[in-house]
Amino acid sequence: MEISTKHNHIVRVSKKRQKISKVFIHGFVILFGIVMLYPLLWMVASSFKNPSEIFSSVSFYPSKWTIDNYVQGWAGVSGYTFDSFFVNTLIIVTLAIIGNIIACSMAAYAFAKLEFKFKSVMFALMLLTLMLPFHVTVIPQYIMFNYLDWINTYYPLILPKFFATEGFFVFLMVQFMKGIPNELVEAAEIDGCGRIKTYWYLILPLSVPALVTTMIFTFIWTWNDFFGQLLYISDLKLFTVALGLRMFLDSAGESAWGPMFAMSTLSLIPLFIVFVFFQRYLIEGITTGGLKG
Amino acid sequence: MKKNYISMLLFFSLILLVACGGNEESNGSKDSSGEGEAGEVQISFSWWGDTGRHDKYNEIIDLFEAENPNIKVDRQFGGWDDYWDRLTTQVSGGNAPDVVSMHQFYVSDYARRGALHNLNEFVESGELDLSDFPESAIDSGKIDDNIYMVAKGITMPGFVYNTAVFDELGVEYPDFNWTWDNFIDKANELKEAMGDDGWAIGDLSGGQINDLRYYARQNGQDVFTEDGKLGFDAQVLTDWWEMWDQLRQDDVIPDAATSNEYEGLPLEANMFATKKVALLKLPVNQMYLYEEQMGEGEIHAVRHPHIENGGTGEYVEGAYLSITEASQHKEEAAKFIEFFTTNEEAVKIFKTEQGPPAGTEASNLVIEELTPPEQRAVEFIQETVEISEPAPYAPEGINQIETLYADNAEAIAFGQKTVEQAVEDFMNEAKSIWPE
Amino acid sequence: MGKFKSFWKDNWIGYLFLAPWMIGLVTLTAIPMGASLYFSFTNYDMFSAPTWIGLDNYTQLFSDEKWLESVRVTLIYVLIGVPLQLTFALFIATLLNKGISGLSLYRAIYYVPSLFGGSVAIAILWRQIFGGNGLINNLLSNIGIEGTNWISNPNTALYTLIVLMIWQFGASMVIFLAGLKQVPIELYESAKMDGASPWKQFSKITLPLITPVVFFNLVMGIIGAFQAFTPAYIVSGGTGGPLNSTLFYTLYLYQKGFTQFSMGYASAMAWFLLLAIAIATAIIFATSKKWVYYQG
Repeated sequence: MEISTKHNHIVRVSKKRQKISKVFIHGFVILFGIVMLYPLLWMVASSFKNPSEIFSSVSFYPSKWTIDNYVQGWAGVSGYTFDSFFVNTLIIVTLAIIGNIIACSMAAYAFAKLEFKFKSVMFALMLLTLMLPFHVTVIPQYIMFNYLDWINTYYPLILPKFFATEGFFVFLMVQFMKGIPNELVEAAEIDGCGRIKTYWYLILPLSVPALVTTMIFTFIWTWNDFFGQLLYISDLKLFTVALGLRMFLDSAGESAWGPMFAMSTLSLIPLFIVFVFFQRYLIEGITTGGLKG
Repeated sequence: MKKNYISMLLFFSLILLVACGGNEESNGSKDSSGEGEAGEVQISFSWWGDTGRHDKYNEIIDLFEAENPNIKVDRQFGGWDDYWDRLTTQVSGGNAPDVVSMHQFYVSDYARRGALHNLNEFVESGELDLSDFPESAIDSGKIDDNIYMVAKGITMPGFVYNTAVFDELGVEYPDFNWTWDNFIDKANELKEAMGDDGWAIGDLSGGQINDLRYYARQNGQDVFTEDGKLGFDAQVLTDWWEMWDQLRQDDVIPDAATSNEYEGLPLEANMFATKKVALLKLPVNQMYLYEEQMGEGEIHAVRHPHIENGGTGEYVEGAYLSITEASQHKEEAAKFIEFFTTNEEAVKIFKTEQGPPAGTEASNLVIEELTPPEQRAVEFIQETVEISEPAPYAPEGINQIETLYADNAEAIAFGQKTVEQAVEDFMNEAKSIWPE
Repeated sequence: MGKFKSFWKDNWIGYLFLAPWMIGLVTLTAIPMGASLYFSFTNYDMFSAPTWIGLDNYTQLFSDEKWLESVRVTLIYVLIGVPLQLTFALFIATLLNKGISGLSLYRAIYYVPSLFGGSVAIAILWRQIFGGNGLINNLLSNIGIEGTNWISNPNTALYTLIVLMIWQFGASMVIFLAGLKQVPIELYESAKMDGASPWKQFSKITLPLITPVVFFNLVMGIIGAFQAFTPAYIVSGGTGGPLNSTLFYTLYLYQKGFTQFSMGYASAMAWFLLLAIAIATAIIFATSKKWVYYQG
């Protein structure tokens, strides 16, 4: 009895405290959100400004709204418009995601849950591949892809992902899979699951937060990565959004800032949607805790 | 939990569907970009520029393809920085485009390392007809006695000003022919009229070594010699840096921090366009961009300041076309360059995109169709090309010298080194890059 | 032969799962890496064949003042930027993991700066914020402080880039969020029953259980920060100025390789960096046994 009232008291107090802290958290989060959003708002506002106003006026708000930048930007260059750039980029991004998720999760499963000789050597090698600045491997890589006659195709941008060349994601998944209780894995094996089935029916579903993280990052990074695309894609038919955006810029001459901002704004929309849609898997997804019980 | 799993599964199968379609597409386009029907030759041409230029050049290429149905031109383009990153990779990767756009700043790096084809044979055989080009324009594409590049457009740097800005300040326009002393007087006058609102001109003491080059040439020297050695002495460099240091101390030009803040900003936001400075050193073919951007007044250009009774600083600059040594189709490439620089229709599209065409006839063709600032630019170029004198091409290592020069100039500007010290440091290190 | 057979029997399943990665390593990654290692012992201008010069590139590094400067700059960036960014990302992620309404919107908003990546817009924006007449100085002048020109003052320029790094904390935040997701809710519930304070819950339950993710973010943050290139490239316009105060290691490497055509030297720089990062990572791994807990 006594214990129970004490308990109720604690709950009440902590509820009140929770209310205060919630208000505080909200206030902080909103204030902070404005700081975070400033660049986006600035860019969106600029995209509706007359190009000459973007740099000359200090005002945040366009003095005269115009959608010319969008019209002009969408028109792209020499008959190739942004809709083809968007489609091309989506193709590359989707394939890259598939590649990364399959190949990286396989490697991660091996590193996290399987025992084999030279495992730590292999793991160290994988980390090493992350430590070399890409500027010095660009040229040998280009020579290689040129030799394979892959220039001006999407192969150099996509195929490597199917071979888990992005160690970042392998390492990420390793960290998550290590957190999956071994008892679960053993239980599955006792139930007659082979290692392959365990991977497919147990490990993958339990790694959803890591897989979604991988997906979001692959989407955003591939979408934004322009250096690889710059080197390997020159045909307008194959142009991506990142390349389309770079086309507006020429540091030695006149840059089309208005259209650049307009198209940048549009190109953020898919990223934003993907993020908003999938991030809930990070929050509401399957919890290992629930399974552990 | 089950629901989540199913929706994930659905999503992946959707992706897979799209993916299969995608694969086919990339395969398909690859086939079409390879060598086509029998007898058809494919050459590639790459350039830097903005979207306006991309449209123009694509139009010129379409014309060329229509006239030469057996040649297809693969087009590669991008902004200035991207262009050079990619070209370097392509050339060293063994996949250089056949025709490349070239610039004085980089040509010696490419030509001296054997990446560019010597065009003398084509010029001698008449396949590349440069008979209409003024001597100085041909010379500007030569390294030693070999023609490595052909000018698509030539230009000259001038000191430009906006008439409206000067009128408002009540300062008289500078004389076309002015000396450094005139320049310093004018700069002080401008500063006085502008007060705290701005400065006479941006800091030219660092940045590009070309600015020093004019001064060195006027002193009868140069940045480098024909045989690849340092071409100027400590005195010239000291005088040059002291002149700018004095201007900086008098607040006639911006302080180091301000200069740095504006460095690398786009045209629209730079100090001249925003009227923070009243004078600008600029390749005059870009004058019209500023006239469009600033919206009032006219942009006019005067000569680079000179030394009374001194040597000539001016030499022809421009944008060029070259054929790479790795090209498999050099004859077709030469044909393309010939078309690009001399064909009437092509020239009319080109106008003064990268300066007026080098050929006299071609340049006369376009002059009527130009806007006033473009016309002023052409007149300025014609006038200064006359007085310009040949200049040797930079030896290997010019990029290191340029960095060394910029670093030391910046150290003076920030008050980290005295002029004396900076000159000494520069001279010592330059000797390790270009041994005497 | 027999030895090989028994090796295969014991290990085949691991190598089966590792196969895609191994094929990629051998065909796609190892060749370019090996080539760059070879270049680092040569004089290679990218257009002509490399000539062997032994260790010259490596010994030259230590007498190159600009290289030493770039090492200094990068170390400051890593040592100050990474811990700040991670603390910040963890703080926000913990806040956002609470059950308050509208969370998904906040999370998305906080990720916005990271969406910008290395966009050129940042270069312009950063001047509007940190320039002499920028936002920060306007705010400061309201309270009577005269600010410096943060971007072009050699003493402060690097710190604006550290702010940029912290501002783009979205990626680390997402990984923390995913990690927090793995902490069983029951643990908090029973802790609340026992009347544990929020801080105690955080330090006794949350933190230990997400150490694998902290470890990941730390290692990757360090590897990433050592190789940071884009921020300095876009904000300084590729120069690393003012007075080389933002000359990141890889920015200098890029200048050497791509503008000065000294790819041999650049490769030596790259392999030296690899060695340095490898040592730093190895140290973190060695200590990890003491502080990283895996539930498994």
